[in-house]
Amino acid sequence: MDIFSNLALGFSTALTLQNLGLAFVGCLIGTLIGVLPGVGPIATITMLLPITFGLDPVGALILLAGIYYGAQYGGSTTAILVNIPGEATAVVTTLDGHQMAKQGRAGIALGIAAIGSFFAGCVATLIIAALAKPLTGLALLFGPAEYFSLMVMGLVFAVVLARGSILKAVAMILVGLLLSMVGTDLETGAERMTFGYAPLADGIDFAVLAMGIFGFAEVLRNLEHPEARDVVKQRIGRLLPSWEDLKQSAAPVLRGTLLGGALGILPGNGAVLGPFASYTLEKKFAKDPSRFGRGAIEGVAGPESANNAGAQTSFIPLLTLGIPPNAVMALMVGAMTIHGIVPGPQVMTKNPTLFWGMIASMWIGNLMLLVINLPLVGMWVRLLKVPYRLMFPAILVFSCIGIYSVNNSPADVIFTAAFAIVGYAFIKFGFEPAPLLLGYVLGKLMEENLRRALIISRGDIMTFAERPVSAGLLLVALALLVVAVLPAVRKSRNEAFAE
Amino acid sequence: MSEHPTGPTARSDEGSHAIRSPQNFAAGLSLVALMVFALWAGRDLDQGTLRAMGAGMLPRAIAVLIGLCGAALVAVSFVKDGDPLERWHLRGPFFVCLGILAFAFTIRSVGLAVAGPLVAIVSGVASPETRLRELLAFALVVTAFCIGLFRYVLNLPLPVLIIPPGVLPGLPAGLYL
Repeated sequence: MDIFSNLALGFSTALTLQNLGLAFVGCLIGTLIGVLPGVGPIATITMLLPITFGLDPVGALILLAGIYYGAQYGGSTTAILVNIPGEATAVVTTLDGHQMAKQGRAGIALGIAAIGSFFAGCVATLIIAALAKPLTGLALLFGPAEYFSLMVMGLVFAVVLARGSILKAVAMILVGLLLSMVGTDLETGAERMTFGYAPLADGIDFAVLAMGIFGFAEVLRNLEHPEARDVVKQRIGRLLPSWEDLKQSAAPVLRGTLLGGALGILPGNGAVLGPFASYTLEKKFAKDPSRFGRGAIEGVAGPESANNAGAQTSFIPLLTLGIPPNAVMALMVGAMTIHGIVPGPQVMTKNPTLFWGMIASMWIGNLMLLVINLPLVGMWVRLLKVPYRLMFPAILVFSCIGIYSVNNSPADVIFTAAFAIVGYAFIKFGFEPAPLLLGYVLGKLMEENLRRALIISRGDIMTFAERPVSAGLLLVALALLVVAVLPAVRKSRNEAFAE
Repeated sequence: MSEHPTGPTARSDEGSHAIRSPQNFAAGLSLVALMVFALWAGRDLDQGTLRAMGAGMLPRAIAVLIGLCGAALVAVSFVKDGDPLERWHLRGPFFVCLGILAFAFTIRSVGLAVAGPLVAIVSGVASPETRLRELLAFALVVTAFCIGLFRYVLNLPLPVLIIPPGVLPGLPAGLYL
C-alpha cells in the first residue's frame, strides 16, 4: 500500500526529537496566544512567523502547523469559557458551548471539543494522505488556462463565503490583486507603481501587509470597543465526558467530521461553512431541537469536529495545487516562500520528507492538543483574566520585532504602521480584509498563468471557454456567483453569518 | 448590497437624506479614488496586446474594475438603506502608530532595549484604561523576555543596545550588544 509507506516516511520525519519538540511548542504557543481574546489564528501566525526563521523548512512548517491548530483550539476555548469566538469558525461553538459552561459543564464542553477535534483530525489526516497523490496527478495535467480558471473559481468561493456585502468582497479581492502587482514585473522587468522607491521594487512584503491589515488593525478595533468579558464564574468541573455524553456525541462527531472535511477541500475558504452546516444538520437530526442554544452537547461536538476537519483538509488545495484556500493558508504560502519552497504539485515529488512529514505531524499535533490542553485548562482560564490594556502593548512589541526580523528592515515596520491605518479604514467602511489577502497571494500566480495561457492561444481570450476543464471551472464560478446574488440565498447567507 | 436593510444600526432620520447608506457611499468613493490613484501611478506602463501583455495591462484593468465596484457602491448607497458612517477615533490609531514608528526609528540606532519599552509605553497611551506604573514595569519585563527569546534563544540579528562612541564619558569606545 502506497499510502502506508508514505505515511511511514512521514512519521519517521515527524517523530524525530526535534520535530516532536517543535510540534509540541507550536501547539502550546498557538493555544496560548489563541486563547487570548481578540487574537485570532491569522494574527498569531504572523506574529510568530519570525521564530521559524532559524529552522529547517520541515521543522518550520511543523511548528507553524502546530501554531495553527493550537490557535484554532484556543479559539474554541475562549468561545466556551468567555463567549468570545477567537475566530469565525468558533462562532457556532459559543451558542451551546457557553451555555454548557454556565450550567457548570464547561469541562465537559472543553473535553468533548478536544475529543471530537482529535477524532476529526485523525480522519482528516487519512483523507489528506489518500487524496494527495491523485489530486497532485490531476494538478500536473492542468495547463495555465485551467490554473487560471481554478483560481478564479477559488476567489469566487471566497467572495460568496465572505461576510457582509458581496460587492465589497469583490472589491477587496480586486484591491488584493492590485497590491500584488506592485513591484517589478517578472515578464518585462518594468517597475510597476513603485514611484522609483527602491524597496518597493521587490513588491509589498506579505508579512507586512498581513500584520498591518489584520494584526494591527485588530488592535485598533479592540481599543475602541471596551470588551465585556463574560468569563464563566462556575467551576470548570470534570473534563472527561460521561459514557452518556459520549454516546450522545458519537454520531454528531462523525457527521461533523465528514461534512467539515468535505467542505474544507473546496478552494476559497470552504472550511468556514463546516461548523455552520454541522450545527444546522444536528438541529435537524435532533429529537428535541429546542435543546439547542441551551447547552446541547451535540451543538458543541458536531461543529467542533467539523471545524477541525475543515481546518486540516484546507491544506489539500495548498499542498496539491499550490493554491491557498483561505487567509491562514495564504500565510502558510508566505512562510513556505520565506523558506525557499514554492507550494504546488511539485512539493510532493521533489520534497517527499517535507510533504509527508507535515501530514504526519498534523496527526501528532492533534494528539498533543488533546494531551496538553485538557490538563492545562486551569492555566488558560487564568490567562483569560489578563486585561487588554496590558495585552496590546505586548502584542505590539512582539509584532514589531517580528516584522523587523523578516528583512531586518525598519522601513518594513513603517509600512506596517501605514497598512494598520488602511486596515482601520477598511473596518470603518465595512470591508472584510480576508478576501484581500487571498487576492494578494493569488495575484502573481494568476497573472503568470493568464499571460501564459494567452501566449499559448496567441491572444485568443476564448481559450478559457474552449478548453473543457477550464470552461467547467468557470461555469461553476459563474453559477455560484449567480446563486449568491439571488435574494433567497442571500437572506439565508446573512442569517448564517449573523452572530 | 447592505447587510442590514432595515437593521437597527440604520438611523431612522437617514431616510430623509438623499444618501441612504453613508458607509457604502464613503466606501465607494474611496474605491474610485483608489482607481484614479492606481491609474496615475501606472500611467507610464506599457499596455501591450492580449498576445503579449505589457506590464500595464492588468493593473489598469483591475484598477478600472475597482472603480466600477466603487461606482456601484455609490449608486447603491442612494437606493438602499444601510449603515451610518462610524466615528473615527483618533487616540488609538495615533498613539499605536506613533509607538510603531518610534520602534522603527530606534531599533537600528539604539537597539531593542530602548525600542521595546518605547513602543509599549507610547502605544499604551492609546488605551484610556492604562495605568502608567503598571505599564512601565510590564514594558520592561516584556522587552527583557523578547531580548532573551529573539536575540539569545533564536539568534536573530537584533541589536540589543547600541551606545555610539563618545556619548557616555565612561565608555569612550561606545557599546554594541
